[in-house]
Amino acid sequence: MISRTRLLTRRLILAGLAASVLAPIAALAADAPKVIRIGLPLVGTGNRPVGGSWNFATVQIKGSLEQEFKADGIRIEWNNFKGAGPALNEAIANKLIDVFAIGDLPGIVGKASGLKTKIIAADNRRYAYAIGVPADSQARSIEDLKGKKLAIFKGTAIQLGFGKFLSRHGLSEKDFKIINMDSNTATAALATKDVDALFTAPSALYPLEDRGVAKVIYNERHDPAAANDRGQAYVVATEDFEKAHPEVVQRIVNVLVREAAWSADEKNRSALLQLWAKSGTPFSAYRRDYEGQGFKEALSPLLDEEFVANIQRNVSESQKLKLVRGSVDAAGWVDRKYLDAALKSNGLTNFWTPLDAGGKPKK
Amino acid sequence: MKPRHRQRILAALILTAFGTPALAAPNTVELEKQLKALQEYVRSLQSQLQAVKDAQPTTTPGAAAAGPDENVASKDDINGLQADLENFKYQLQRDRDTRTALSARALNVSGVIQARYGATDAAVNTGGNSANAVNGRNNSFDLGAVLIGFNGNLYKDYEDGRNLDYTLRFGTSPQQGTNNSFLNLIDANLTYHILPTISADAGRLSVTFGQQLLPFGQEVQATEDLKPTINNALFTSPGSLDLARRQVGLIFRGDAFPVVDYGYNYRAPILTYAFGLVNGNGPNKSDDNNNKDLVGRVALTLPSDYNSWLRQLSFGASIYRGKQNVFVNSGADLVDKGKKDRFGFDLAYNHHPFGVTYEYTEGRDEYATGTKAAYSVAERKSRAHTGTFFYNIGEQFVKGYRAQGRYDDWWPKSYQPFYRYDRFDPNTAALRDEIKVHTLGLNVFFAETSKFQLNLNRTTFAATDKTTNDLLAQFQFGF
Repeated sequence: MISRTRLLTRRLILAGLAASVLAPIAALAADAPKVIRIGLPLVGTGNRPVGGSWNFATVQIKGSLEQEFKADGIRIEWNNFKGAGPALNEAIANKLIDVFAIGDLPGIVGKASGLKTKIIAADNRRYAYAIGVPADSQARSIEDLKGKKLAIFKGTAIQLGFGKFLSRHGLSEKDFKIINMDSNTATAALATKDVDALFTAPSALYPLEDRGVAKVIYNERHDPAAANDRGQAYVVATEDFEKAHPEVVQRIVNVLVREAAWSADEKNRSALLQLWAKSGTPFSAYRRDYEGQGFKEALSPLLDEEFVANIQRNVSESQKLKLVRGSVDAAGWVDRKYLDAALKSNGLTNFWTPLDAGGKPKK
Repeated sequence: MKPRHRQRILAALILTAFGTPALAAPNTVELEKQLKALQEYVRSLQSQLQAVKDAQPTTTPGAAAAGPDENVASKDDINGLQADLENFKYQLQRDRDTRTALSARALNVSGVIQARYGATDAAVNTGGNSANAVNGRNNSFDLGAVLIGFNGNLYKDYEDGRNLDYTLRFGTSPQQGTNNSFLNLIDANLTYHILPTISADAGRLSVTFGQQLLPFGQEVQATEDLKPTINNALFTSPGSLDLARRQVGLIFRGDAFPVVDYGYNYRAPILTYAFGLVNGNGPNKSDDNNNKDLVGRVALTLPSDYNSWLRQLSFGASIYRGKQNVFVNSGADLVDKGKKDRFGFDLAYNHHPFGVTYEYTEGRDEYATGTKAAYSVAERKSRAHTGTFFYNIGEQFVKGYRAQGRYDDWWPKSYQPFYRYDRFDPNTAALRDEIKVHTLGLNVFFAETSKFQLNLNRTTFAATDKTTNDLLAQFQFGF
């Protein structure tokens, strides 16, 4: 028979254990937001809120964040902006977004103009661009398109990619009649020959090529000169949200890292492309776009020296091309603590190889 | 190796082996030797054949039965696709013939309906004949306005965007004591974009010819971004400075030195301008004199990035100089032409989530007194102040936010409380004749083209020393 003292002691221990387990949960419940407002500059065909190519797109399609926060009753609000990065910046300036993924140029413009944000993980860092022309066009290179109507999506990472591409060829936007169009409008315009060329992601052009209405005359992925000029995207949290809910930010990064590791496994390659194909861009277009490009490298979440150096280089390029006023200190913008903790807690500390500023594996 | 090939090889070998001895008959020993040699040769060939077979990749027995290559479309596939295409073409043609509104050029049909309930503590009474009399009305259901519009493109310039556009709009509003609310022609005009419109970085210039709104001040041309109230400001109405009435004429509108922040998709020209000539006597009429009235406006917006506290801070100045016919004998006798001048100054700071606007307007009208034979002309000066403050709760006015990819018919619900002060003094020389309106209101934006509006107006008439309180509740919806 158990004595009353022992029973009391046992109850006290149990109560203590329960308190130690429940206290963080209670604290989380007290501090936890009711909703996490996510922003993505990705919209699929027919205005569907689905994108591809980015790790955050995979997370959205798989509903991984919903699963992570379901038990806490925290709602995930997805905002897929048709106006891409610039519209996302507008929403952030008006304090309507907590965590978001964004591409090179709008991310830099937002930071340079004073948006208080922190980069918490890398997203796609091997983005490539291509030039598409109507199927019967005589143009074979960018030089053949001088003075012609060329569509780009201004204010997005595409504009910076285009600027860098032109610099490599000794050209500038003034050599063309530039028309600002979002990606879906631009592909339609190319199909109807309302524009003479379109500079965008290869995966947006291949479906047109398959339909016989356009052809790709240049693909950055096959251009050795562009090997170090890849576009990149990153995941960012607003400072307000990060300060108020660091534990929520940590769990978001945990999810991102797990999904990036899943995508890195080559046996999941087809499954990943199938997920992205839900955006309306065909599986085959993504397959061709990423031919020869491993997703372990492309979707590495590491905030390594290469990533930071690329941002700093893109800041300089943006300033040179007069796409941004002000400056950005890339190293100060990056906050590695959430990523480091996520890699450690998921046993992925040595899963990805960090790259040095030159893009070589760091010894 | 296929049997037929083997037979051919054997036949060739036999011919080779026996071809020469056929000329001289061989003996039995020789024949046996040759047969042995032949057998050796066949064995050698068989071993070579086996080696070749071993080197080839093995194919599973079921491989041939796995079916046709899935990357190659069969004739049945193409027939199926063709049938689908034919069905689609037929359906499209049939729908076009029987269920589609057609026009010779691009056409956009739009409409606005205001369904309203109004109540006042000052009962409305009118005299007049029995059909139109109003007897002690304190409240009423009304259609505040019903508008239907058509606009589109008469010529589309694919190269530079120097398009030729048209606008046609009809509308009606409630009539006091009568049910004759016929649709009136409101806008009917052509607009040509003189400067290219394809680049946001360049200034723009267009010219509009026909019946249109005057580019005077803020209130007259304000969209719901800057005008939260149901009623227009007092100075715009026909009884006062009469600036909201459409006029027929030719007006240029443009902007220069645009500040474009592509990182936020934000364009704000530093200079916005308009100038033109109009008849000056209102819509749907020929001019009533030979003088054309001049209207002009310039507005300056401070250059800034989107994420700056200076965003959308602008100052404007407007002028209208014209002539109007003047009468004596209660409008029965035309005696002369007098000035009809308006001057205005305005500022707007529309910085989501709040906005402030202020507008000062002054009018100078000449009028005649006396008789037709002996009259004199005098000037009456009038003055108006209109100020508005509003606060947005929600994302209705964040342009990029509301354009999202969504599966459902999503729209960000928004609430906009506001306050407006409106004062009009019809004659600054006369004492106690001004009207003041304080309006407290709330707008609820609940769908893309629909909103609910609630306005409480407190109006003070200095001339009669009376104050009235009105409530207006209105659903405005459009398509």
